Amino acid sequence: MKRLSPTRLGIAVFAVGLLLYPLVFTNPFYLDIGVTFLLAAISASAWNIVGGYAGQISVGHSMFFGLGAYAPLLFYQLLGWPPMAGIPIGIAASVVLAIIIGMPTFRLTGHYFSMATIAVAELIRIFTGTWDFVGAAIGLQGPATARGWWDLTFRGETPYYYIFLGVLAALLFITHTIERRRFGYYLRAIKARERAARSLGVPVLQIKMQALMLSAIFTSLAGSLYAIKTGFIDPESGFGILVSVQMVIIAALGGAGTLFGPVFGALILIPLQSATNTWFGGGGSGLTYILYGGIIVLIARFEPGGLFELWHRVIAKYRSRRDAA
Amino acid sequence: MLLVQVVVGGLLLGAIYALFSSGLTLIWGMMNFINFAHGEFVMLGMYAALLVVVWLGGGPAVFGLAVALLLFFLGVAVYASLIRHVLRGPMLAQILSTFGLALLLRYTAFWIFSANFVSLPETWLSGSVDVGGIWLPIPQLIAGLLAITLTIVLHLLLTRTTVGSRLLAVSEDRTAAMLMGIRPDRMQALAWGLSASAAGIAGALMATAYPWSPSVGETFGLIAFVVVALGGFGSVPGAMYAGLIIGLIQSVSAFWLGPIYKDIVVYALFAVLLWLRPQGLMGRA
Amino acid sequence: MLLEARDVSKSFGSFRAVAGANLFIEEGEIVGLIGPNGAGKSTFFNCLAGDMPVTTGQIIFDGHDITRASPEAHARIGIGRTFQLPATFEDMTVLENVMVGAFLRYPHRDDAREHARKIIELTGLAAHASNWARSLGTPGRKRLEIARVLASKPRLMLLDESLAGLTPAELRDAISLVKRIHEMGITLVIVEHIMEVIMTLTRRVLVFNQGHVIASGKPEDVVRDPAVIAAYLGHGHVPRRG
Repeated sequence: MKRLSPTRLGIAVFAVGLLLYPLVFTNPFYLDIGVTFLLAAISASAWNIVGGYAGQISVGHSMFFGLGAYAPLLFYQLLGWPPMAGIPIGIAASVVLAIIIGMPTFRLTGHYFSMATIAVAELIRIFTGTWDFVGAAIGLQGPATARGWWDLTFRGETPYYYIFLGVLAALLFITHTIERRRFGYYLRAIKARERAARSLGVPVLQIKMQALMLSAIFTSLAGSLYAIKTGFIDPESGFGILVSVQMVIIAALGGAGTLFGPVFGALILIPLQSATNTWFGGGGSGLTYILYGGIIVLIARFEPGGLFELWHRVIAKYRSRRDAA
Repeated sequence: MLLVQVVVGGLLLGAIYALFSSGLTLIWGMMNFINFAHGEFVMLGMYAALLVVVWLGGGPAVFGLAVALLLFFLGVAVYASLIRHVLRGPMLAQILSTFGLALLLRYTAFWIFSANFVSLPETWLSGSVDVGGIWLPIPQLIAGLLAITLTIVLHLLLTRTTVGSRLLAVSEDRTAAMLMGIRPDRMQALAWGLSASAAGIAGALMATAYPWSPSVGETFGLIAFVVVALGGFGSVPGAMYAGLIIGLIQSVSAFWLGPIYKDIVVYALFAVLLWLRPQGLMGRA
Repeated sequence: MLLEARDVSKSFGSFRAVAGANLFIEEGEIVGLIGPNGAGKSTFFNCLAGDMPVTTGQIIFDGHDITRASPEAHARIGIGRTFQLPATFEDMTVLENVMVGAFLRYPHRDDAREHARKIIELTGLAAHASNWARSLGTPGRKRLEIARVLASKPRLMLLDESLAGLTPAELRDAISLVKRIHEMGITLVIVEHIMEVIMTLTRRVLVFNQGHVIASGKPEDVVRDPAVIAAYLGHGHVPRRG
């Protein structure tokens, strides 16, 4: 039987806390923060697979989020399908897009991939804003009232909360499995030294592509969940640069390339964002984004390993001091 | 005749693209580093010009010089306080550093100047001139000609002067440069100063001819990527030709397809380029 | 014949780093590549490892043409290499580093770990197994690189100055490690500056100068070759014997 380490205990307590949260905080305001937190944690964990573990920094992941968000509402508006039916279509489109971006850029150094992701995301955002078929600048809407449970249009936030929690748990389980398998070791080797990894027989291009596709699938799913819950999507909330920024900042803040880094990043950033929006007056206030920019610069300059690494260092220092005493 | 006017207008705009993109390509060529905040430097140049004109009442010569100096010091400061420290760090830190800086500058500008479009007050530069049957606004003409001149000056500075050869020595081989008594750190700081300065002057020149808002930084940053990708990473002459080509393509596609398509065409070109010739049209294989 | 490299050239623009080099290796040999700095031996080495595409020539390994094969294909077919500047995976432990090599032959984690542990024991890294690779000094990293390659079960190992920069004691250990690897039936190509290493380990050396192989044969004969002495003198130092 495995020993119950403090880390395991902490995770268990945290998981129970997440399960009970909607029962304790029934106020819609807090429930909304909870749902937003889960969605941010899902997106950032999805980004983390390619950006954190494989070290290929995408700054345009909104392209997958947006495809996932548009597909359910588009097929609802066009054919009256339940929005859920659009999820696999969004995922398929995201995988195709991942291949289109990854194939040329993964042969080159890392900066090309970053540059390509932001340019393609912008291309799609601007194009979506001019294309009447997908609602142009106005965007798309979902069903106002549910025609049945399959529309996933609920009055309260609680059902969404548990659906999102389930998806987050599944994603973390998959990431954990990857960490323990050859694929996970290969990802870390590629991130550390691509040339050395290649010399040891790691099929670098193929592994990076698989990581990007897996990441795209879950980012797209996050987009679909967002659109189904909100019942509305426009170019800015789907493909906007700030959608990508949020994934990067949350993962980097918590610790890119660690299992729970993105979750802790979201745990800090989402309440902070909610608080700044309240203090400075809501509606995507500019000050929130100034704060984002500042946090990103500080992480890059002082703590690129994120809070997770900082925490490990503090613990190590504490232990060595205790041992010395 | 209208098409000729569109073509000339595109080339004049492209000259400004060439100037700020040569700043981006300089940094890339020297330290294999992408500055995601480069477009924001252009945007700052525009607002700096506005502030100098409004507060000090200076003419174009005054604000041009002031912006060049201001942005030079900003570039050096950014290098010394941020870039120098992340250069040897992980890739994540390298990309996030300037990406975060871009957000910081962009949204600070939104906060201070609001999202409204502004333009410089009219000066003696206003008006149009008849050049062989086509009417050209004087500000665009002067801005374009000055921009192309400055790009050439930058190229000559890099290839024909001692400072330039020192800069290139650092980009070729850091260790060898150190053995020759060159201090790479200083040269890289200088490169950031020059790069930001080029972006700032380009912004100031553009401010004389076009209205703008804080969001232009994002657009110009992406245009600079496309120009550098087309012209070859690290090549100033490449950036010059590519800048002119992109300006031309934008102008013509806005004329034929409508203004909203001018950016789409350029980004689509970038996506195609990445597939066909990732090292750039004029880049070395 | 395990490896045949015929008339291999590599040019960078107008500069010919390697100009028509030949190398034939029988299974079980240890061959040394020596030469002054910038002589082209590292470039030739990188061509053999598949890291640089050759400009002209042909490379055949165990009957397979691998001239255009990728580095990962080289590893799969059984050619492993180390790097001149140690290229360990810094944010992984010593054991994990070796496991990355072992995964090539053992796809499952437990098998790979078991094999990696054996290799770590063999290479004398057992005390550091759970330390971060970045905590090792240069000698440790060079040893880790050898261990990592060894874990991928190569038939031919290319060692790029893996024994450079060691103290006399470390050097003795390293030489005995290379001998043990050889006794396991692995063929070796060694790029090295230190003649002592070449003299003790190899039976045959190739001397590079300005992209050409200027001499080859037994190490004790080669160091007396006037062309070799001239090449080294031209670069300011004579190959030293231990």
